[in-house]
Amino acid sequence: MSEHVAPPVLSTRKFSLWYGSHQAVIEVDLDIAERQITAIIGPSGCGKSTLIRAFNRLNDLIPGVRTAGQILFRGEPLYGRGVDPVEVRRRIGMVFQKPNPFPKSVFENVAFGLRINGFRGDLKAKVEEALARAALLDEVKGDLHRKTGYDLSGGQQQRLCIARALAVDPEVLLMDEPCSALDPIATAKIEDLIRELASSVTVVIVTHNMQQAARVSDYTAFMLLGELVECGPTRELFTRPKDSRTEAYITGRFG
Amino acid sequence: MRRKLVGWGFAAVAGMALGIGLLVLIVLIATTALQAAPITAMRAVAGAGISLSLRSMEVPGTREAAGYVTVAQVEAGSPAAELGLARGDALLVVGSVPVERPSQAWEAVRGAPGGRGVVLPVAWLPRAEVALGTLRATPGGVTVATPSPMAQAGGLAPGDLLLSAGSIPITGTRQAWEALAVAARTGGAPVEVKLNRAGEEIRLLWDPVRRGELRFVRDPLRAWWGFLTTLNEPRYPERAGLLPALVGSLYVVLVMAAVAFPLGIAGAVYLEEYAPTNLLTRTIEVLVANLAGTPSAVVGIIGLEVFARALGAGRSVLAGGLTLAVLILPTMVVASREALRAVPRTLREAALALGATRWETVRHHVLPYALPGILTGTILSFSRALGEAAPLLLLGAFLFVTYVPQGLGDSFTVVPLQIFEWATRPQDGFATVAAAAIVVLVTLLLLLNAVAILLRNRFGRRWAG
Ligand SMILES: Nc1ncnc2c1ncn2[C@@H]1O[C@H](COP(=O)(O)OP(=O)(O)OP(=O)(O)O)[C@@H](O)[C@H]1O
Ligand SMILES: [Mg+2]
Repeated sequence: MSEHVAPPVLSTRKFSLWYGSHQAVIEVDLDIAERQITAIIGPSGCGKSTLIRAFNRLNDLIPGVRTAGQILFRGEPLYGRGVDPVEVRRRIGMVFQKPNPFPKSVFENVAFGLRINGFRGDLKAKVEEALARAALLDEVKGDLHRKTGYDLSGGQQQRLCIARALAVDPEVLLMDEPCSALDPIATAKIEDLIRELASSVTVVIVTHNMQQAARVSDYTAFMLLGELVECGPTRELFTRPKDSRTEAYITGRFG
Repeated sequence: MRRKLVGWGFAAVAGMALGIGLLVLIVLIATTALQAAPITAMRAVAGAGISLSLRSMEVPGTREAAGYVTVAQVEAGSPAAELGLARGDALLVVGSVPVERPSQAWEAVRGAPGGRGVVLPVAWLPRAEVALGTLRATPGGVTVATPSPMAQAGGLAPGDLLLSAGSIPITGTRQAWEALAVAARTGGAPVEVKLNRAGEEIRLLWDPVRRGELRFVRDPLRAWWGFLTTLNEPRYPERAGLLPALVGSLYVVLVMAAVAFPLGIAGAVYLEEYAPTNLLTRTIEVLVANLAGTPSAVVGIIGLEVFARALGAGRSVLAGGLTLAVLILPTMVVASREALRAVPRTLREAALALGATRWETVRHHVLPYALPGILTGTILSFSRALGEAAPLLLLGAFLFVTYVPQGLGDSFTVVPLQIFEWATRPQDGFATVAAAAIVVLVTLLLLLNAVAILLRNRFGRRWAG
């Protein structure tokens, strides 16, 4: 199919990461396909968050972090000399496990990214567009300036965070367990949203929940103890895992 | 059940601590306010136009001294001036109280029944030239050279040898008038004056005392307002003014704030957000934390050596402000860092993940979030600096400042120093003035702390969600 022809947006080449002396990611080789949803699954502590945070260089801020190998972003080394992590983060957005809106109005939450990126144009239209893409606009339309991010429900907050990330038109959206703090209805809404987003952005989503990975993703990567065990089209990985460890995990024998 | 008991225990201890704290505070304020209360009467006396000072006369033949009160100043056009009181007169009676010390005059005004304004009889002995004229010391004793008209009317003649007034022997030219004043006050008028005229001893019953009525306005508001807004007259407590010290404190604290506020926040932001963790920054951190505990007197010496001497700022507002800035900077850095550290990591990550630079993150999210905490720490530091006397004392700030400083280069005094200066004066009335200044200072500090609490609550609610 055509997705194998298109070059990957992100690809890791024997990528390793250490927190001090502890190696959290071990020589991972993984390709993230353009405009597809890639899920990363694996038991707690296997390095999923570490890997996804490596994609937008958010680990740089943690003292004692060291990397080896490479991550290529559209063919360019992400950790190369002269690469500005700020620039990287403008092109690769992120949504976190716990909703973390700014303690400001809904409008300002979304507008912040645009402002710092020197957006010229109709700020209001752009903010509303982002809120619409995150399926939140209808619920907050009247209170854009009146309500703060904290006045929203958990699910709304998470969609606000998605809108905030989408506003700057990222090429990739990283999501680290975006639904783990939400109830089933809010989760369902966000899953629908993620499916819709895939038409315009590349999504990488970390999840604990195998059903969720099966429901939303095109590709799934399975990690164990810092290593990438297996990666492939989601249906294949869940129905015919190549590795016995993957099989053990998806059939619930550990994890 | 047990958990409940433990909870009750904590509540009881906390309540007790709070109660004791409040009680101490109330007792403190009440006692100082009580001590400061006579200021109303003091300023009422000053308002009538007279300043008093305590003098004393050695009683011949004894080792005792008798005190008396002279009028040290009379304001032109004041009720006292109109009544005829003049500089140098001895004030003998106010109301029905013979006054031996100035405080008794104030007490008489304070204790007189009546409302805001009271009219009290006063009695005084005119100054020596008016009451007696010129006297001369001769081998035989004190001789009248040229009696004043008043003395002539009382029966004194040139050449009279003065022996005693009341029961007080007369031994000197100045002392003759003093003896008259003390005798008139203690024994009442007329006074029995013994003199030797041409070898013959004469007893003269003479009333040299003048009497009149003075109106005193006892208005606490006016008294306190006057105390706060008049220049300091260092010799007379009833004319003491806190204005130079208040303005001095204001200027010094402003200079300090202008230096310490930006530097403190910048230092905290640097250490917390930018500095790499290495030996150097660790050392700086330890240094800053230790500096926060430096005795303020030591900081005063630093201020003296560095700002006053090496930089040549002298004993100026500038040097004082810089010294206090050095004093509070470490505390401010520590408190601000604490506030910055309390900013959730997720908030920083949210901004950074949108492509914000470190500075954009700090400016738009971290600082606003930490601001209430930073401001609380700042105000508490400021209120500490406002109450400091020691470093400025060592810097050599002037204790007697009777003018309002106009610029950075002017010398100054501050409220705590002024309190110190007043409190160490032995004269009547300065303790009262010192207590009044303490009431002012404590009120200022409480106000500042209240502002800090308000800030914390206001912003705290807004952000905490
Ligand atoms: N800041 C850090 N400093 C040191 N070690 C860390 C840090 N963050 C994570 N680790 C370690 O790295 C390993 C991988 O952590 P990571 O957070 O990537 O796991 P995860 O797969 O996301 O787990 P979970 O599903 O529980 O979120 C863990 O052993 C963890 O203890
Ligand atoms: Mg994780």
